[in-house]
Amino acid sequence: MSIVVDSVSKNFGDFVALDDVSLNVRDGSLTALLGPSGGGKSTLLRVIAGLETPDSGKVMIAGDDATDTPPQRRNVGFVFQHYAAFKHMTVAKNVAFGLTIRKRPKDEIETRVSELLKLVHLDGFAHRYPSQLSGGQRQRMALARALAVQPRVLLLDEPFGALDATVRKELRAWLRRLHDEVHVTTVFVTHDQEEAMEVAEQIVVLNHGRIEQVGSPRDLYERPANDFVMGFVGPVTALSERVIRPHDVEILSEPTDGAAEAMIDRVLHLGFEVRVELTLGDGETTWVQTTRERSEELELTEGAIVWLRPLDQSPVAA
Amino acid sequence: MISNSSDRTRPSRALPAKYGLRIFALGYLVLLLGIPVALIFINAFQDGIGAAWDAVTTPEAQHAFYLTFVMVIVAVPLNTIFGVLCALAIVRQRFRGRALLNALVDLPFAVSPVVVGLALILVYGRRDGWVGEWFAENGIQIIFSTPGMILATMFVSLPFVVREVIPVLREIGTEQEQAAATLGAGGLQTFFRVTLPAIRWGVAYGVVLTTARALGEFGAVSVVSGKLSGQTETATLYVENRFQRFDETGAYAASVVLALLALVTLLAMNVIKPKEAKEAKA
Repeated sequence: MSIVVDSVSKNFGDFVALDDVSLNVRDGSLTALLGPSGGGKSTLLRVIAGLETPDSGKVMIAGDDATDTPPQRRNVGFVFQHYAAFKHMTVAKNVAFGLTIRKRPKDEIETRVSELLKLVHLDGFAHRYPSQLSGGQRQRMALARALAVQPRVLLLDEPFGALDATVRKELRAWLRRLHDEVHVTTVFVTHDQEEAMEVAEQIVVLNHGRIEQVGSPRDLYERPANDFVMGFVGPVTALSERVIRPHDVEILSEPTDGAAEAMIDRVLHLGFEVRVELTLGDGETTWVQTTRERSEELELTEGAIVWLRPLDQSPVAA
Repeated sequence: MISNSSDRTRPSRALPAKYGLRIFALGYLVLLLGIPVALIFINAFQDGIGAAWDAVTTPEAQHAFYLTFVMVIVAVPLNTIFGVLCALAIVRQRFRGRALLNALVDLPFAVSPVVVGLALILVYGRRDGWVGEWFAENGIQIIFSTPGMILATMFVSLPFVVREVIPVLREIGTEQEQAAATLGAGGLQTFFRVTLPAIRWGVAYGVVLTTARALGEFGAVSVVSGKLSGQTETATLYVENRFQRFDETGAYAASVVLALLALVTLLAMNVIKPKEAKEAKA
């Protein structure tokens, strides 16, 4: 189901969490709300879920005005960063919670729970307690619990934020595949641009309670609307007072028109990537990303003098 | 492992501290608690078990224990319900006077029970009481009667459940409740299915402490009871009564029953404790 957020504002005392935010989320899409902490992304998600009431503006879910609907009746699935597992219930009881509240027949609940546990790869864990699961397993349980009631939209608040790096990577790929299987409109909050780029079809960049840009991962990377988005979705470096991606700088061994002279301070070999740190003629320092082949071809060494030139297709921040 | 090795490397400094502390704590307890309680037991049975049994089964004694039972059975559930609701209000809601409510709850800890008793007479006393006259006109006697004694017991045992539940509520946070809400649970469903199970050990611990306090209350109840033997005499008042009439066996035997009841409550507390620790670890 689609989600429409229409000029929503929300303050917490003096703090402006959301400032006239409007957003469309297409039915069946996978959207990331990306931004620094305090940027308003979690508040926006909680407003959609009904866990926060906006000071002004409207929220529509599947075309219905849901602004005044309490969370109980919005039929959204919500997954919390710290799982919010019901500690006194088994995994099966946790997943069944929404269905038990809806007083569904026992055998229907049992069937649905075992289906969902299979979907999240927790079959065999039905009778364990949340305390007996790892963080990743708890989060998958929380996801199954949210999906059990067949929500109109699935909302995830930093779902992988509390997990270690390896489990995070695994779960990202898994969430992507799950979305292909289940097709429920999904919105997730993250402060990790790599996570957003890897998982989402559409990314919404939020900063200081405002939307900076909405677009596909490629859009944001190649055509950032401003300095902030450019800096937030990928690495940046400075060259001749321009903000530029470090791989969009060409290193030349001969002086050329429009190229700036620089001395190499350090050459870092990071596998396929080689990172070159340099000092420009005016004393400014910068860094450039290049490949191992290119580095060998140019014989880059510390102390060598090279010339730097921005590549033509490089996005330039306004 | 680490503490073992440090014990071995620094025995001269570690040993006195280790045993000194233990001896001090144990000695303190033996002198203040152990010996007096043991003497009560010894004195209760000095004329034999039969005499002690007879002393606690007289009609007056039976009535006193019955009345103490009434105090517990009324005060504990009411204070438990109040305690849970009060803790919820203090932790989960923001309102003017929240800090005042939080401070007021501790008042029974601070005020002497005798003062509580006198205060109750000022409010409910038949002749001069603030609302006592109205109750008296409608045929309800509060002071020098069971209702007043129940009120006194409730007053002194009020803070325990609140104080036990507040930290647990703070610790569990609101996420589980919010999760329940997004899954369709209404306020009451969330309370009974999520919040209450999550705080149950805190509640149980509070109930045990409330029960112990209600069983043992003397001062406040003494002031409002009028001490009519066989009518407004709880077990603690009965003990005092017997003692003042030089019926030592009666006083000590009743004391032993009270001590045993306290022991049972303490045991209940210790049955709860390890479970609570396990929960906390999970």
